[in-house]
Amino acid sequence: MHLHDPSSTPPPVRRTVPLAWFVVGVIVAAGVSVAGIATSYALRPGSPSGPLSITDDLGRHDTVPADPARVVVLGPSIMDSMYRLGLRSHVVGVDCYAPSLGGLSSDYSADQVALWNLSSSMCVETGPTFDVEQLLALGPQLVLAATIVSVAAVEQITQTYHIPVVMLQPATLTGVILNDQLLGEIFEVPGASSSLVSSLQSALSRAASLQDNLTANGTPFPTVLVTYSADGNGYWTFGPGTFGQSLIELASGASISANATLPYPELSGEQVLASNPEYLVYGTGFGINESTYAGGPFWSQLITTQGGHAVGMDSNYFTEPDPTMILVGLPQLIAVLHPGSSA
Amino acid sequence: MGATAEVPTGTARGLGRRPWVLGLLLALLGVGVFFSPILGTVSVSPDTVLRILLHQVSGGALFSDPCAGASVPASGCSGLIEIVWDARLSEVMLAVVVGAGLGISGGTLQGVFRNPLADPFLLGISSGGTLGAAVVVVFRIGVSEQNLLLPLFAFVGAIATGAVILVAARSRFGSVETLLLTGVALSSFLSAVLSLLLLYSPTGSLQVDFWLLGNLGSLDWTQDGIAFGVVLVAGTLLATYGRELNLLQLGPDVAQSLGVDSRKVRVRLLLLASVTTAAAVAFTGIIGFVGLVSPHVVRRIAGNDYRLVLPGAALVGGGFLLTARDLSLVAFPGTLLPIGIFTSFAGAPFFAYLLFRRRGASTMGTP
Repeated sequence: MHLHDPSSTPPPVRRTVPLAWFVVGVIVAAGVSVAGIATSYALRPGSPSGPLSITDDLGRHDTVPADPARVVVLGPSIMDSMYRLGLRSHVVGVDCYAPSLGGLSSDYSADQVALWNLSSSMCVETGPTFDVEQLLALGPQLVLAATIVSVAAVEQITQTYHIPVVMLQPATLTGVILNDQLLGEIFEVPGASSSLVSSLQSALSRAASLQDNLTANGTPFPTVLVTYSADGNGYWTFGPGTFGQSLIELASGASISANATLPYPELSGEQVLASNPEYLVYGTGFGINESTYAGGPFWSQLITTQGGHAVGMDSNYFTEPDPTMILVGLPQLIAVLHPGSSA
Repeated sequence: MGATAEVPTGTARGLGRRPWVLGLLLALLGVGVFFSPILGTVSVSPDTVLRILLHQVSGGALFSDPCAGASVPASGCSGLIEIVWDARLSEVMLAVVVGAGLGISGGTLQGVFRNPLADPFLLGISSGGTLGAAVVVVFRIGVSEQNLLLPLFAFVGAIATGAVILVAARSRFGSVETLLLTGVALSSFLSAVLSLLLLYSPTGSLQVDFWLLGNLGSLDWTQDGIAFGVVLVAGTLLATYGRELNLLQLGPDVAQSLGVDSRKVRVRLLLLASVTTAAAVAFTGIIGFVGLVSPHVVRRIAGNDYRLVLPGAALVGGGFLLTARDLSLVAFPGTLLPIGIFTSFAGAPFFAYLLFRRRGASTMGTP
């Protein structure tokens, strides 16, 4: 599981702010973001099969070959997009943590390894040290990198070995959609790209409609704690500016950590009890399950208080900014928080 | 920590006794540099590696097709050459340069503080370097130039920390104890600032973790060249202070009577050691114990004369780090682990040995 650190996301829901205005604001902001980022992704005009000049999520400029056949993907979130766009056959390498220790299983769940047909021979070590040897041996024409790779390592790949690198590190869910559009352009799969983008936009629209309905009816958003880990001190959760927080807001939930000071704060047992969230969602996967949370303070009381509203969800849905977050994670969270809704 | 060093007797005798040691260490290091590229995370046969090295060194005159008969990866022969020459050899050379810098800095600081437990990280220089690197990562400064800005900021951070120590050294309270305590306090303070910074950037934390563990990867010949230049100049200047360090072991008053301005020399040595350490830390992060262990190894085999100890510690330091790199690749094939882990594995027992040995006699004894 990787924690992403977006620099800007929509502000947290505040009950004192009229929700209708908030929704309007989000839509306007998203439109502005789309326009701004779309401009930065403007591809060089010319032959559709010629090299493309691209500005990535970090503002780096690079020229990438059109429809590259050998691609190394460094980040499960990007792999998710590649798979959904039907581009798995282009991928010759993926990120791994210390191949002789954790390997693929450190960065990819067993389900992902099986679904995406990944093997240890595709490993490029991105942690604890970035291994450029393994990358070079795969002979990639393009590297797509998420936040797990240091910018310094990326610059080395580009400048020393002249392999183009595109860093896909969206700051918002809108950025996820834009990145899928970008991949569609690079790999010349406009049909698959528009289909995926359409699905993503529909999922977001359904969530927005739910918000509109709740707001129109004056129904308050249910309070929720979404936690991805716990220890004896408390529960680790998502604060402002994180994808986890964005997902909660889109699902018409009121996070009890919306006003936290840190992006990934740990709430003490006292804080959680005092907030008395109506719903408790705990992240699972990568060795974390309900027994992990049983070691947190007041867990049994919290479970009892929820009266059955404590639900486990794959942590990746909250941490990996990819299509699955929007297509699977968002509807699941909506189903938990609003069981009767059709969104 | 008090000054426990014994006086080195007969500096000329010390130098004349085993100068061949330097030649031997240099030869061993050369052999290590030549053969270490055989080890890497991608499987390349030793004869192919040697052919590529000779091909590159000879400018293509030898082995016109160095990959002939070799199992070539998807990237082809040019990819194989990049792996061996650009990735591996630059990593090997960086290990030597950084190890040498840490070794000679350690030897210098042990002499300045007249304390066998002094090492380059004792003064908080590494903490300053780490904070400098973290600032670049967390605030995403100069994205397209980060591979050079990161070591630059780390270097500036380390030097700035060294400057504070130097100010303390120049003051009238600049005793050895004051310097050490200033270093410890600075180190703690900078570590606290770093921790606070990383709380706001978990992704930055992942990258800074690499730094804290020390690593030799993700660098290239440009960075090697910069590190080599700084360490060579500062290290060479340090090595010229062997005589003064020998006299400082007699105590500041005696050294003063023999014509050594102990305070001025101490400040110069701290400055040069800080620059050398900063250059090492800037490119690889924190690699512990090299600076502590290397001077002691030289003393064991060549005596206490600082005219031998300083260049010897540089050679042993380079060899130590190179060996750690090779052993890590043998122990964990296919994985590039942070090199600091392995130097600490070797260094920690040695540190304990020194502590026990100090109970009976000084390790900085007479030659």
